[in-house]
Amino acid sequence: MAQPAGAPIWQPASTLSERVQRLRDEYFSFETRAFRNEVRAYSTGTAWDQVYSPHHWTNVPEVAPFLWAFQDSLLAGAETVPLPPGFWDEPLPVRVARFFATVLQGPLPVDILDGELIVGGHFAVALSRCLTKRETKAWAKESRAIVQGVGALSGYGVGNCGAVPGHLIPDYPRVLREGFSGITAAIERRLASARGAEAATLQSFLVAAQATPAFAARYAARGAALAAEASGARAAELTEIARICRQVPWQPAETFAEALQSLWFAHLLVMVAESYPGPGVSFGRIDQYLWPYLERDLAAGRTTRAQAKELLQCFWVKPNYAYDYQGRLGRNQGINSSFGQLVTLGGCGPDGEDRGNDLTWLMLEVIEEMNLLEPKPNVRVHARTPAPLLQRVAELLAHAQGSPFLLNFDEASMAGMRWQGVPAAEVWDYAPVGCLENTRQGDDRSGTVDVNLNLAKAVELTLFQGRDLRTGAQLGPQTHDPQSFRTWDDLWQAFRAQLFWEIDALLAFEDRADTLRARLEPTPYLSTLVGGCVEQARDVTAAGARWNYITAQGVALATAVDSLVAVRKLVLEDGRVTMPDLLRALRQNFEGEELLRQILVNKAPKYGNDDPYADTVARAVSRTFTEEVWKRRSPTGRRYRGGYLSWNYGIAYAPLVAATPDGRRRGTFLSNGVAAVNGADREGPTASARSVHSLGLETAPNGDSHTISLAPALIRDAEHIDKLAAFLRAYAAEGGTALQVNLVDGATLRAAQERPEEFRNLLVRVTGYNAYFVHLGREMQDEIIARESHGV
Amino acid sequence: MTAPSAQIAAPAEAAPAPAAGPDTRGLIFGLQRFSTEDGPGIRTTVFVKGCPMRCPWCQNPEGLAPGKQVLWARARCLGDGGCVNACPHGALAREGGATRVDPAVCQACGTCADFCPANALEVAGWERTAREVAANVLRDRGFYERSGGGVTFSGGEPLTQPDFVAAALDLLGAAGVHRALDTCGAAGPATLRALLGRVELVLFDLKHMDPDRHLEQTGIRLDKVLECAREVKRAGVPCWVRTPVIPGHTDDEANIRAIARFVKAELPRAARYDLLAFSKLCVSKYEQLGRQGAVVARLPLVPRSHMERLRAVALEEGLSTVVWSGMTAT
Repeated sequence: MAQPAGAPIWQPASTLSERVQRLRDEYFSFETRAFRNEVRAYSTGTAWDQVYSPHHWTNVPEVAPFLWAFQDSLLAGAETVPLPPGFWDEPLPVRVARFFATVLQGPLPVDILDGELIVGGHFAVALSRCLTKRETKAWAKESRAIVQGVGALSGYGVGNCGAVPGHLIPDYPRVLREGFSGITAAIERRLASARGAEAATLQSFLVAAQATPAFAARYAARGAALAAEASGARAAELTEIARICRQVPWQPAETFAEALQSLWFAHLLVMVAESYPGPGVSFGRIDQYLWPYLERDLAAGRTTRAQAKELLQCFWVKPNYAYDYQGRLGRNQGINSSFGQLVTLGGCGPDGEDRGNDLTWLMLEVIEEMNLLEPKPNVRVHARTPAPLLQRVAELLAHAQGSPFLLNFDEASMAGMRWQGVPAAEVWDYAPVGCLENTRQGDDRSGTVDVNLNLAKAVELTLFQGRDLRTGAQLGPQTHDPQSFRTWDDLWQAFRAQLFWEIDALLAFEDRADTLRARLEPTPYLSTLVGGCVEQARDVTAAGARWNYITAQGVALATAVDSLVAVRKLVLEDGRVTMPDLLRALRQNFEGEELLRQILVNKAPKYGNDDPYADTVARAVSRTFTEEVWKRRSPTGRRYRGGYLSWNYGIAYAPLVAATPDGRRRGTFLSNGVAAVNGADREGPTASARSVHSLGLETAPNGDSHTISLAPALIRDAEHIDKLAAFLRAYAAEGGTALQVNLVDGATLRAAQERPEEFRNLLVRVTGYNAYFVHLGREMQDEIIARESHGV
Repeated sequence: MTAPSAQIAAPAEAAPAPAAGPDTRGLIFGLQRFSTEDGPGIRTTVFVKGCPMRCPWCQNPEGLAPGKQVLWARARCLGDGGCVNACPHGALAREGGATRVDPAVCQACGTCADFCPANALEVAGWERTAREVAANVLRDRGFYERSGGGVTFSGGEPLTQPDFVAAALDLLGAAGVHRALDTCGAAGPATLRALLGRVELVLFDLKHMDPDRHLEQTGIRLDKVLECAREVKRAGVPCWVRTPVIPGHTDDEANIRAIARFVKAELPRAARYDLLAFSKLCVSKYEQLGRQGAVVARLPLVPRSHMERLRAVALEEGLSTVVWSGMTAT
């Protein structure tokens, strides 16, 4: 989520160089700076042209009302690009590639900021889809049908889907190693034996790859021109920038500076080609593939650690400019997409050995000192992560000012990759994209946020025979009247039927969105950077990657589980609550039913407490959901796989899910990721981790989002930071695939005062004593808030 | 000293005590996972019910009485009074917006707690076998192994249920779990000795070094506690000494200096001295027990500077590792 410029939590370290400080300040001065990476639309100039695909964004309910406005306003402001001769005679992929190349050669602005050492400014664009009139008609009709169909499901809170761009790791190391010249040579070799549509696809790859040197040359020319006007050290820097831009990304990189510049160009152009720019386009294991360049430079005395650090810091500012796309628009219109350009640090090698290196440590320094939103750091933790590195990570967590620092755990993540079929010998080289979604590097498009299914909605449908309680609409199948349920199996079979209907309903539209993109929205440039596309002569959008999945993320797992558990325990087993009473209370949203609601909240087991009663149900729900989606494939051949990112849908869908048998009222947030319902996990983080582990998450190879909150007192000194580090090491064996550690601050405590039920698990600890915050008297709460706010 | 309103004694049907073993039953009032304040690493702390001391600042007053007690939390109570009818013994009444538990009548059978939809009524004290406690503790062994943590038996005072604690410690020791005993030393040396052979660490509380004030504040003679401390020394078990720093009770420099001297002289194996600043978090527990006018409600917090000063005093006396923690006034 974008932070307002200059918000106090984004304070850099006081140790930044003057150059880096200035570059960082400039980024934060959105309102006043001259360079802005605001979106520029480029059109073919035809009357029917389109530059924005609404069906890419149907996974974001908050922007649904604005999709058509975006499409129209981008088009209205579009600059018409002079087309190369014979443009309309080419097949669609070649048109797309030629249009991309044309934009790079002229219309796309070239900007070098004062003092920067890594260049490449403008990348927020919306490129023409390059469709003919006939193609546009088919495209627009299908796009509209998808938007309407997904919108209807989303409006009932069933879930959403879309053909979302990005969310993959391009094969950047290959660009550094071989340059686009090497990639071009490989395309040409494959082209020699290709015919028909395959040849057209490969031709489009060739055009896209060959467009890169001309673009870099424009930066070289600009650098040389600025050098002529500059003097002293800056003139030399600009001359060096010009030299580097004449070499990369076309030629292989030799030095660390060349590697970073090549990497940024390659990445920036993915953002251009995907025309959002693409969210979740991630860097992968950056400390692994950049280290050989730095190591050589250091050994040869070509650079120092300090110089390398400043260069990295210059690089670090660049991905943040993605947020200029939202610029003035975003703040008013509620676009809250976060770009999630992940960098992955640390992690194991093929034999379980740790792959951390000096660059890992240098990057941790950069992350801490820069304190920027992007690129987002994920650290891979495994059984043999060295103690000092884990200690350092724990310290960073303890002192994080708000920058989410995510941990991915190798053993659990690799078990999922293995389950989905990645060979055992290759599974170690995974990395996350977007937030925490596990994929392979360089040859994998797993559509990690494409489908989001609300598991809690299936509970509502189960209890009201497939009807949406708010509108009365019959959505799912008319399963048995819940008043006839006598056993857990009766309840379970009805739930399964509703869940499978949700899967059918959402995947039907995802199939269409994926197919539409495969048919009419090729991305030749990106395809040159995804392993498998050249070999198969297929665009990445048409399942050309070596590994192709579409991820179905489960939303509100814990809310669904606790609801099923409450019915099982209190209605079917104990008989303490009758089904008619429960249904009446749910219909009334618990108005006048507080006693019953309290029974549901307090007298049934809850997931997240290492309680086998609840965790067994959780495992059944998770396995059933993930194993069912695994049976499905899109017509493009991409297979569906499960996961639990869940993003912020627990908020968006809160008003759309009726009161639930766990005692939740309509409107109260649904649970997030694989975490417990807010406040329901009262046994602390070890129990919470074990509940997550018990889900058997290998069947959700995407991985899961698990967040724990700790009071600042728990990381108050070196002894306690050690304990946190030990907890993280144990989590690798006892928990899930990914973890975010939040510190409970004064604001959280104040929220706990206002909404105690959501914070029942909030422990306040002082030596020798602990208490649930919400059970303390108001006066004591105020005292603790005052204390935590002062960081004590 | 305020006498605790021991609302209910042990169950009436006192069966003959079984020999200490996995099936030995005990009464605990808490089992806290991810405990980070009661010894090294990540631990599970088992709170054993019953304590012979009666310190007016007690942080866990629901752990003092040896038997089960019913607690009532005003903050959670919905006030519908259904519990009054639910009680099979007629021990509950609603008076002036509060639910009163008559300790003379209450059998602590738990019917009201099961009934109460909001869990405003709860029973402090759960009967568990040593085997059940050990099984619960073992759920987090993966975290103990990687953090150098383990189990801590605390309370209350674990020495009040020595057979049960010993049986649980044996099971956990056999499983390779690091074991700690948190004791106030108010027990016979023989009782203590039996447990010292079963733990890897003792957390030993020393509250006051003035015999009169110790007796006055805790209800127990100081020499009894010091005898236990010497027993720890004789057994050669590593220990951490801990002092609750309570304003007007234990927080004077002279007291801390005297404790530090004793530790230096008599407990050479003490690896660490902890000064625990008084926190007021326990006030609501006194209310839940139906005890009005608890001393803790009137006590101020210790200034941070004073905790620093006390730490310096202990260091002056030659202790090498002195740690203070807890809530302080700024």
